[in-house]
Amino acid sequence: MGEDRALMIDVIDLHKYFKDHHVLKGLNQKVYKGEVVAIIGPSGGGKSTFIRCLNRLEEPSSGKILIEGTDITATRTDINRVRMEIGMVFQSFNLFPHLTALQNIKLAPIHVRRMSEKDAEERGRQLLKKVGLQEKASAYPDQLSGGQQQRVAIARALAMQPNMIFFDEPTSALDPEMIREVLDVMDNLAKEGMTMLVISHEIGFIREAATRILVLADGCIIEEGTPNEVLKHPQHPRTQDFLSKIL
Amino acid sequence: MANSKPTPTRESFAQRYRIRFGHLPWYKRYEFLLPLVVTLLVIGFLLLPPLGKPTPAQWLWIGVFFALLILWVVGVLTDIEKPRWIRAIAAVGFVFVLGFLFYRYSGAQWDKLTTNFFNLSVMEGLWGDLGQGLLMTIKLAFVSMGISLVLGLLIAVLRSLNNPILNVFLIIYIDFFRAIPLIVLVVFIFYALPFLGIELDPYLSAVVAVSLNYAAYVAEVFRAGIESIYRGQVEASRALGMSTMQTMRLVILPQAVRVVIPPTTGLMVGLLKDTALTTIIGLPELLYKGIQNTIWQSNPTPLVAAAVLYIVVLLPLTRFSGYLETRSKKWVKTAR
Repeated sequence: MGEDRALMIDVIDLHKYFKDHHVLKGLNQKVYKGEVVAIIGPSGGGKSTFIRCLNRLEEPSSGKILIEGTDITATRTDINRVRMEIGMVFQSFNLFPHLTALQNIKLAPIHVRRMSEKDAEERGRQLLKKVGLQEKASAYPDQLSGGQQQRVAIARALAMQPNMIFFDEPTSALDPEMIREVLDVMDNLAKEGMTMLVISHEIGFIREAATRILVLADGCIIEEGTPNEVLKHPQHPRTQDFLSKIL
Repeated sequence: MANSKPTPTRESFAQRYRIRFGHLPWYKRYEFLLPLVVTLLVIGFLLLPPLGKPTPAQWLWIGVFFALLILWVVGVLTDIEKPRWIRAIAAVGFVFVLGFLFYRYSGAQWDKLTTNFFNLSVMEGLWGDLGQGLLMTIKLAFVSMGISLVLGLLIAVLRSLNNPILNVFLIIYIDFFRAIPLIVLVVFIFYALPFLGIELDPYLSAVVAVSLNYAAYVAEVFRAGIESIYRGQVEASRALGMSTMQTMRLVILPQAVRVVIPPTTGLMVGLLKDTALTTIIGLPELLYKGIQNTIWQSNPTPLVAAAVLYIVVLLPLTRFSGYLETRSKKWVKTAR
């Protein structure tokens, strides 16, 4: 079904070691344009490492990763060009504290995309409006709540006009009442057809927005399928065990 | 009657006194105590033996007077219920009296001390020459500050690249120049480098020595500043496609500078003071002028005058670094 759509991410036999610790044990995965792939699984299972290998924030130990056909593990690949097309949203927001919300968003487009100051400013304001924070343009990160910071972080990722966005537990560091506002923004993104990889345990969001679920445990994808299949009829005993704990 | 207001009664004298002055008895109240003690002290002073070596009986009186004084001052100083000004007076008075006692009975040769070290007639003709020295010191200090800051920043940034081969050289540089005494470095550059075909005049030798030395310190401080920035900042920046150098310039350094400013100001104070070591190669800076005049006049007053000038220049700088420190504490807190 996805074969007629563009292949965005192709992971072939990905291994990752931290010293002697075998974190990823030969993952294979294809992600097509417009898919929203939720990655769940027990902590320490390799979810974060997997997603961070895909833009080489972690160096893969072996295997091949093709992002839109470019082999990012090849030495002559300019990783910065690849990263321009991949947005990343972190658990701890990682906004730049010395810059205002708008400056945070403008920084990379101006210096990486070589966008003009004026265009970047305009685009930044549009994005702030999109995440519902247009009046916070000149606020510094420490003046924003966690939820607001994470929405600015999403806007910052979108400012580079990426073809896909990775979310690494975007709501785990948030107070419960702020989770909704971030998930709403992500929901909208999914509806617009953005290709997304989301590590999250917000089952409501996954059921609603995800097109596919990967269950990662002990460095292997132990189960894979639509939200309906995986959440309602988990096959693997570890998935059943995990879901029974978080549901 | 329906009138429920209590009929006003006249308070007794004691009641009115308490309302007016609180609950302490008179002998614990400073309005009464202060004139009393001051009067006693004045009488004590008048009774003190005259200048010169005291007899044992006089020593006894001095001892008793002194002990009483200490008792009283400690009592006042430690009583935090007393207003601040009264404690200030007690402290100043205490120091003053101590100084007076020392001045009078230590047997020190005050007149000789004054004519040798604080000789006003010697000091008078000094300021022009010392001023020139001071200008040289300031010129040397500021040029070296500029060079060592730029060089130190460069070294710190290069070190943050974590290139193993480069790091070996950088670490050797830093360790060597931090370990070698500046005075030895100054001598080496001025007297030894000519044998290698590099001849520098005293001023350039001084600039090179001080800059190389302090660049090593600056590099270490900057490196600590760079490493204090949270790793997530780098990841966020790199994930946006920024290069290592862009990340350094746009994300890390602007944050690191705030962390690093107070210790760096401290270093610069040290640098200014250490320029005095270049005296040894005959650079006519402040200390050199002080020593020169000391020799000409056969009187060390010029050295004291030079020291006063150092203090006058450095005191604002040290205060400034203290101010930056308190301010950056706020800054750094908000940067997380």
